[in-house]
Amino acid sequence: MTSLRPAAARPVEILLVEDNPGDVRLTVEALREARVANRLSVAADGQEALAFLRREGRYADAPRPDLILLDLNLPRKDGREVLAEIKADPVLRRIPVVVLTTSSAEQDILRSYDLHANCYITKPVDLEAFLTVVRAVEYFWLRIVALPGRADGGA
Amino acid sequence: MTPRLERPRWGPGTATAPTLAAILRAVDSGVLSLDRAGRVVFANPAAARLLGCAAAALVGQPLHEAAPHAQPGGAPCAAAGCSLLATLADGERRRLAGYRFRRRDGATFIADCATGPLRAGGQLTGAVLVLHDVTERHQAAAEQRRLLQQAEAAEARFRALLESAPDAIVITRRDGRILLVNRQAELQFGYDRAELLDQPLEILVPERFRTRHALLREQYHAAPRTRPMGGGLDLYARRKDGSEFPAEISLSPLAIDGEVLVTAIVRDITDRKRAEQQLKQTAAALAQQTVELARSNAELQQFAYVASHDLQEPLRMVASYTQLLARRYRGQLGPEADEFIAFAVDGAQRMQRLINDLLAYSRVGTQGRPLEPVDCGRVVDQVLADLGAAIAESGAVITREPLPVVRADPSQLGQVFQNLLSNAIKFHGTAPPRIHVGAAREGDEWRLWVRDNGIGIAPEYAERIFVIFQRLHTQQEYPGTGIGLAICKKIVERHGGRIWVESAPGAGATFYFTLPAVEETAP
Repeated sequence: MTSLRPAAARPVEILLVEDNPGDVRLTVEALREARVANRLSVAADGQEALAFLRREGRYADAPRPDLILLDLNLPRKDGREVLAEIKADPVLRRIPVVVLTTSSAEQDILRSYDLHANCYITKPVDLEAFLTVVRAVEYFWLRIVALPGRADGGA
Repeated sequence: MTPRLERPRWGPGTATAPTLAAILRAVDSGVLSLDRAGRVVFANPAAARLLGCAAAALVGQPLHEAAPHAQPGGAPCAAAGCSLLATLADGERRRLAGYRFRRRDGATFIADCATGPLRAGGQLTGAVLVLHDVTERHQAAAEQRRLLQQAEAAEARFRALLESAPDAIVITRRDGRILLVNRQAELQFGYDRAELLDQPLEILVPERFRTRHALLREQYHAAPRTRPMGGGLDLYARRKDGSEFPAEISLSPLAIDGEVLVTAIVRDITDRKRAEQQLKQTAAALAQQTVELARSNAELQQFAYVASHDLQEPLRMVASYTQLLARRYRGQLGPEADEFIAFAVDGAQRMQRLINDLLAYSRVGTQGRPLEPVDCGRVVDQVLADLGAAIAESGAVITREPLPVVRADPSQLGQVFQNLLSNAIKFHGTAPPRIHVGAAREGDEWRLWVRDNGIGIAPEYAERIFVIFQRLHTQQEYPGTGIGLAICKKIVERHGGRIWVESAPGAGATFYFTLPAVEETAP
């Protein structure tokens, strides 16, 4: 498996935009078992996420994420606005955004795709199901998909 | 006649006997002379003509035989006490009008009579009776009376008509003064008739409209025709006390004796206006209710969203971390801890199902699609395919008749059949489920049913099972939240139908529901 990737390849940078520490922890738990080397950064609200992405203030040295996991309901600036701003930015719009939210409301799903979300996932309540979802995200987006700006591409 | 006769010989007021005889022959009035006993001594030709026989036949007869007559009041007259003979007793002159005489041939004539005394040497020797035929005048007078009565009767009828009219009627002359009003006008406007007659019509018009009204009245006379007044505007009339009432007024011209009168019929529409006002208020209240309903509907949708997202968030934390606890620490904290964690996990999962069900229930109203013709047979077949695993597991035998096309939301109709069929499979007794789906046309709707041979339902629960989260069994007996039938009911009612159950414990159950049929189109 690892033989497929150059040994020097940097870890995949993931930005998790999530205000709930419980969810952050669960995601960390799930990604801990991931096969692909990754580094998870967390932004607790929409403003922080955009500052991180634009390398503003204390995020001047922030890495450019390869994948964004975005919750919708966030304090200060909510996920829909963040999504709109990312997809309106000529540089940031290339970064795949996975909407990962508790909402199963049709209006949220449609609106997210209208804003060019790359996929939309409703967080399962059941722990096992949640772990499965995060692993599936990891498998698909880190191993199958060719991400922009990474010459090694998919597996 | 000779000029000689005209020259009196004996002085003024006298004439010769031959002259007198000629005069008596010439006059048109009947002249009779009577002796003291009341017998006819002389009758001139006019008297004979009036009484219908020769003068000679009258002479010598008592007056009442020669000229039988009735008194002016119509009573028969006898000689005793007859006023025509009274002069014979007292020598006084009399004028006696309106005696009805009978001629020999039975015909009658009416005469005014004059009597005067005849004297000779200062002695009363008899009386003269002059009969002046006034029959024609009497008849003319009677005709006039009859015509008058007729006119009065017509007038009375007109009055009655006028007075019985439910509306005020005011008739004005060309100059705008009131000629005639009816009783209703008095009542409606609060005036006595006498106070209105000859007054300008404008006293019945609110002051602010008077000038304009007088102007329009003049214009009306330029082209008078029957029409409603006001051209669709709200009209008001003014009572004596200055108060006003809304009125509906129609005008019509009435040409009498060359003058054009105008009849105004004034209807007090206060009650109608009030009813209209109430109707408006009701409509406004209804509109208000609709707004509130829309708002509460929006609130419900908001609630559904809250349930789908904001309630899920903390619930997911509880569920996930109790599960994580169970995963990491099962068997390490002691059997009680394992049991407690199991309860917590189970509770969180049930809570999750309830929220999802509530959401599904609220979506029946908010996410329903328009009704369209749907083939029930295809819907049922699809549901049976979806339930394949449950059917195989339970060994259920499911049959169906040819099913109709109804007007429905296809997805919701599928939900109804899915819920009813999975209930029929789930609530089976010891025997494997036998389920039948049928339909019958009733008027402009179809009645559909799902019949099973399961455990049945006691009649006292027949209503309750359709209420959200109402359950008749524990989770251990039959799992579920109690949402299925509540959703069915909400869907069926959204389609304008009814749903009910007929059952008895142990005897199976039949769930019926109705749906609108598709309008038949001509082939």
